[in-house]
Amino acid sequence: MEKATVKKMVASMCVAIVFVLLVSGCGGSSSKDSKEKTAKLPSLGKRYTLDKAEPAWKLDTKKETTKLTWYVNADWWNTEFGTDMITKKIKEDLNIDIEFIVGDDTKLNTYFAGGDMPDIVSIFDSNSTVARKANTWAYPLQDLADKYDPYFYDVASKDTLNWYKLSDNKTYGYPDYSNAAADYKSGDIYSRDAFIIRQDVYEAIGKPDMTTPEGFVKAMKLIKEKFPDLIPFGFNDFAKDGSSNGSMDGVIQDMLGVPYTDADGNYYDRNVDKDYLAWIKAFRQVHADGNISDDSFTDDGDKFKEKVSTGKYATMMIGSFVNQGIALQEFATNNPTEKYIAVDGIQSTEGNEATLTQAGISGWMINYISQQCSDPAKAIQIFTYLQSEEGQMLTNFGIEGETYTVASDGKVSYTADALKVQNENPEAWQKEYRIGEFIQFGHDKYKALSDDSYVEAVKQMQEWGTDKLEPQFATENIGPDAGSQEARALSAIQTNWSTTLVSMLRAKSDKEVEQLIAKYKKFEKENSIQAINKVRNEKIAENKKKLGIK
Amino acid sequence: MVKKEPINRRLKNYWEKFGKQWQLQSMAIPGVVYMIIFNFIPIYGLVIAFKNYTVIDSIGNADWVGWQNFEIVMKDRYFWQSVVNTLAISGLKLLFGFVLPIIIAIMIYELRAGVFKRVIQTISYLPHFLSWIILGGMLITWFSTTGMINQLLQMFGIVTQQNHMLDANKYWWIAALSDVWKEAGWGTILYLAVMSKIDPTYYEAAKMDGAGRLRQVWSITIPMMKSIISLNFILAVSGLFNSNLDQTLVLMNSQNQQKSEVINSYVYRLGLQQGDFSYATAVGLGVSIISVLLLVVTNLVTKKLNDNKSVL
Repeated sequence: MEKATVKKMVASMCVAIVFVLLVSGCGGSSSKDSKEKTAKLPSLGKRYTLDKAEPAWKLDTKKETTKLTWYVNADWWNTEFGTDMITKKIKEDLNIDIEFIVGDDTKLNTYFAGGDMPDIVSIFDSNSTVARKANTWAYPLQDLADKYDPYFYDVASKDTLNWYKLSDNKTYGYPDYSNAAADYKSGDIYSRDAFIIRQDVYEAIGKPDMTTPEGFVKAMKLIKEKFPDLIPFGFNDFAKDGSSNGSMDGVIQDMLGVPYTDADGNYYDRNVDKDYLAWIKAFRQVHADGNISDDSFTDDGDKFKEKVSTGKYATMMIGSFVNQGIALQEFATNNPTEKYIAVDGIQSTEGNEATLTQAGISGWMINYISQQCSDPAKAIQIFTYLQSEEGQMLTNFGIEGETYTVASDGKVSYTADALKVQNENPEAWQKEYRIGEFIQFGHDKYKALSDDSYVEAVKQMQEWGTDKLEPQFATENIGPDAGSQEARALSAIQTNWSTTLVSMLRAKSDKEVEQLIAKYKKFEKENSIQAINKVRNEKIAENKKKLGIK
Repeated sequence: MVKKEPINRRLKNYWEKFGKQWQLQSMAIPGVVYMIIFNFIPIYGLVIAFKNYTVIDSIGNADWVGWQNFEIVMKDRYFWQSVVNTLAISGLKLLFGFVLPIIIAIMIYELRAGVFKRVIQTISYLPHFLSWIILGGMLITWFSTTGMINQLLQMFGIVTQQNHMLDANKYWWIAALSDVWKEAGWGTILYLAVMSKIDPTYYEAAKMDGAGRLRQVWSITIPMMKSIISLNFILAVSGLFNSNLDQTLVLMNSQNQQKSEVINSYVYRLGLQQGDFSYATAVGLGVSIISVLLLVVTNLVTKKLNDNKSVL
């Protein structure tokens, strides 16, 4: 009997071992191969001969429709293809059929784990492992362009291609809304942050000076006296986990022109800047006077929007007002004399000019062609097409003559029919036209061609911000790599900062503010800020090298 | 020693028996397959706790790092802070949330059947069906400066104009009591089901002997529910480390984070948001092991209380 038990045990153990081996075998094999595989591009054969002056999609003789899968790492992406005006035209021009797949990071990870990649991949985080190790799973765009479509170089931005180069000197992903230094200078891109105030309030309190801390505190008191129902000062919502602090750190610092790097070009800790802290003390006083509501710290994005659309805040430090465009417009339409306007306020105590930011050179969505792409030639043709003038005009404004017309001065305006649909039937506008939505290669410079690209309510704010934009490319993507000790420490510091900031704003006295900031500095030291800054400085140096600045 | 049957004979017997039970087996097998695919195979993924894994690697080819992730976890004070918060919030939930459903269940049971009883039951279940996203939004509004709680306090002459969600010291209580409020009614269902199975003659006999209402509850209802109470207790204790992720994510803000970060939200933040999968898995694995230990220990304790019979 004992023998039988032993036998049974041995047998079941064998089964278990075989089982585990089987399972581990499954998991391990597939993507190991892809890691070592070098990108070998299939030959074009007799499909077409390259022509530098002509985009390859016009040359391609491939008869059958190319089917491609395109993964977009966002749940909100519209997966329809070929049913609306814009994608129908793309489908015809390129003879393709795209199947969009949407998902979140978990789904993206599953693709990598499973090793079965879609043809084209769009992600958002240029500092993620996926982006930094793109050479293991995507084709280099230079190789693709050289082999299949040299016209790509004509439409792609050189600065952007350079920026996204990995250590092998090749670019794997191409972003939308990537602004180079020239774009900042062109005047085609607008600022998006401003100090705004309700027009009726501004006039009623006699347009006081709000550019100095003292003036600001006084003005808020005045507002409270004259408009007891309004909250004198508001700001964007704080993230619940402390990962972002509304418009109360970075945006304020931009308004004050707090530098991003010190005189030696090293990382500068903007949060402990003297100028900034002088303003923090002013905001503290405003809060102590009862002119900042504690609810502003717990409101989420929806609640903030609601307060904007009902004009609950008399003044606001608003970041990304374009994103609040609908709420701002709603309030302005219902209360034309009370609409929010941007005015000078919250300025440096040290005489610095505001240095507002916009989408940097890293852009927003980044597009890759995976090494498992069934037809890489077609894929690069899509990249070229969407970036060309033809593709940009199509995705931004539709088809000339049908939805838009171009005046002799180059200004684009929608046709009467199109405008009617846009105003009266927004759903049809979205479903049938899909104008301004197919944005994987979008760029603001095309938006600037038309006066209808932005809602009326933000135009004055954009105007206010003219000449205040300042590119900060060198400090983009300088965070430590995910999973490193420094990344963990930085996350702790950021969480601590969020708590410190709100505590400072809610502090009882200026002395308490100083204690809090001292505590924060100590915390930074304890959490290896030096090692983090070393990483940052290395990355700044790398960035500068890429950008060609000293 | 039992005389051994030849192996093929035994196999044949086995299959014969299996064939006779085919209806039952066909019901059980899908469950077993499901368990293997979704509960056992994923266990293999735990090896990334001992590796330096990023999205680009496959589980197989990531580098081994041994106990390194665990060593960092042990030294991570945020982890320990989240452990303290988890235990405090779960402890409060256990303290109030475990007893309350039993009391409510007994009270409902003692009510005469009728419209009133059904209304009470339905009302007490209601909050359970609201997700934390909705409920959390309600709570944040209630606790805001002009919210319901402050208005009530002002009504009673306690003047206050503060946002209670920003007060870290109140968070444990807010989290625990709001959870109890949400789930207490729902928790009565199991108890009511057991109580409906109690033989009414017990109560009749007790009444004959002159036992009052409370005496009946104490000497009949509660002893009859002993095993289900023990079972619930074991499950509750083994879930001590499993405090509510949805609730935390909704109610957390930068001011109460020190008191509101629980193990689950910490793992979520590190693993899914920051892509630090290995580290997050190490934390998760450690917590699972402790939870199993808790389960075993409570089982031993309740066994003692239940005449040495395990309810598991």
